[in-house]
Amino acid sequence: MTNWLKRNQKNGSFLAAPTVVWLLIFFVLPLVIVLVVSFMSRGRGGVAELPFTLAHYERSFGIFSIILWRSIGLAALTTVVCLIVGYPLAFFISTRRRRLAQQVTLFLVILPFWTNFLIRTYAWRILLGDEGTINGFLIGLGLISEPLSLLNTQFAVLIGLVYGFLPFMVLPIFASVERFNFRYVDAAHDLGANDMRTFLRVVLPLTMPGVLAGCALVFIPSVGAFVTPDLLGGTKGLMIGNLINNQFGGSGNMPLGSALSIVMMAVVMLSLLVYVFANRRDTGA
Amino acid sequence: MPSYDVELKDIVKDFESGGGSVRAVDHVSVEIADGEFFALLGPSGCGKTTTLRLIAGFEQPTAGHILIRGRAMEGIPAYHRPVNTVFQDYALFPHLTVEQNIMFGLQMEGVHKREALKLAGESLEMVRLPGVGERKPHQLSGGQQQRVALARALVKQPAVLLLDEPLGALDLKLRKNMQYELKALQRDVGITFIYVTHDQEEAITMADRIAVMNEGVMLQVGTPKEIYEHPQTHFVADFIGETNFIAGALIERGADGYGSVRLQDGSVIRAQLSETLGGSAGAVTVAIRPERIGISTIPKALEGGTNPSEITMLEALLVDSQYIGTDTRFTLRIGESIELVARLQNVNEREHAALRIGQKVKVFWQDSSTTVLDR
Repeated sequence: MTNWLKRNQKNGSFLAAPTVVWLLIFFVLPLVIVLVVSFMSRGRGGVAELPFTLAHYERSFGIFSIILWRSIGLAALTTVVCLIVGYPLAFFISTRRRRLAQQVTLFLVILPFWTNFLIRTYAWRILLGDEGTINGFLIGLGLISEPLSLLNTQFAVLIGLVYGFLPFMVLPIFASVERFNFRYVDAAHDLGANDMRTFLRVVLPLTMPGVLAGCALVFIPSVGAFVTPDLLGGTKGLMIGNLINNQFGGSGNMPLGSALSIVMMAVVMLSLLVYVFANRRDTGA
Repeated sequence: MPSYDVELKDIVKDFESGGGSVRAVDHVSVEIADGEFFALLGPSGCGKTTTLRLIAGFEQPTAGHILIRGRAMEGIPAYHRPVNTVFQDYALFPHLTVEQNIMFGLQMEGVHKREALKLAGESLEMVRLPGVGERKPHQLSGGQQQRVALARALVKQPAVLLLDEPLGALDLKLRKNMQYELKALQRDVGITFIYVTHDQEEAITMADRIAVMNEGVMLQVGTPKEIYEHPQTHFVADFIGETNFIAGALIERGADGYGSVRLQDGSVIRAQLSETLGGSAGAVTVAIRPERIGISTIPKALEGGTNPSEITMLEALLVDSQYIGTDTRFTLRIGESIELVARLQNVNEREHAALRIGQKVKVFWQDSSTTVLDR
């Protein structure tokens, strides 16, 4: 048995066969269908029909470009805020000397996953609403007389996204800082670098793999998010995910939805390319 | 007035650990002269590396003062101290090339890039490693990384270079070569070296002076010769080289620095008292190096010029002999319970061959080769 496995170690590509078949049927094929549909016309009930047309792409980059850019902008902002909040947090966790302190803080980061994402997002509606906890508190203190409109804004979407995706930033950075040898900090200090320069020239570059992975893990799902903007964003916070979602409903437009999906995938692919490029340059490979 | 590069004044360093505190450095005071090669020697956990880190500024002393070139170092962070460190694991920045590693410290001083490049090239030549500037540290061997670490520290022209077991990770042969090279380099650049090691041979061959540390205490400071020939404590005698320890009782203290010690077999010998010997007479240990002991089958006259009253000669039984290359190692018994080891160089093998196990012999040594220590 082991000999058989050894012999087939090098040319054992058939081991990947189940995965390849699965991906062909459930990933590549649907993708091709979406691609084809995106070039077709809208028929009755929103389904696709001939002839082929570029109209949906024109609309995607035309009238809907504002939503596309808003999605990219909100996702980028989410990534930046997650990074600013997450990096120090990850650093704090991984530099705890006591094992227990580290495990407890790490556990607290992961704890929200124990509750359904939908429920947690609804909780933000209660916090941010006009008669919600935050407004109630501020009015109760007499700091404001009219409730602040927090819900159904892009700000609310940003808060929801940062809240939802922060762990995805913290965990890879944590792993990177854990691997970081703090002797390098001594070495940098020894060579005359103050704390700021030590961080910028030594700590940050050496933990960059974690930063890049975290950014990719936050940015990519943020671009396509639709639950968070749906519940917290209202019409002002509409994102491309909601737009796509709407096209596949009752009076939707499947070809338009397909075209928007393809555009969104292109954005994600581009950001992944940036990630791969940055990572390669960083590791010096 | 002697000029000191580094002065430690009654340094104490405690580390918090699990509610209690551990004293890593215990009232250490020492002065290190300009241009000196100074070794901190001791077993692992003796506080030598902590002492080095205190000088570097990576740790702050719990009490006491550190002066570098006469300037108090309180509140001065590591990056403003005129010292540089060669770390045990080199700590070369893995994301930078060799050249960028060496230029790092210069750029922090604001040296212009072109000038820094030139200096980096020169320092690579100084450590005899030209042409590797473009490479990453992981592409170099351990010995080469060690040289880069040295170049990176020396290019800053520090007042003091701190070396934390820099040769510890190298194999034996490379380590021997680097010992000579380091020593030569130190002579050339004239920078004060403070060198941490647990290897007594390394310390003895390289250092101008050695400080032996144990459990945070600096037990003895002196030239390699002083440390080896006249250890002031049992620990120092035991840690450095091989030593015979003979138990006895001090029965008389002479004014000349010598005393009379009664051994367990009843014989009384004259031996040199250590400076740190406790006040009252009582149980002591006489330390003597194996190579200082002579063996003879006939009580012939000893080398000319030596006053016989300064020689101790005792009857002994030859118990064992062991050939160890350059030397032969003889185990001898005096009386019932005193065992001694003597080492004789293998220059006159016929004489050694005449010594047979089970034979009665005379052992002798000069009284000045002994040291009486507290037990």
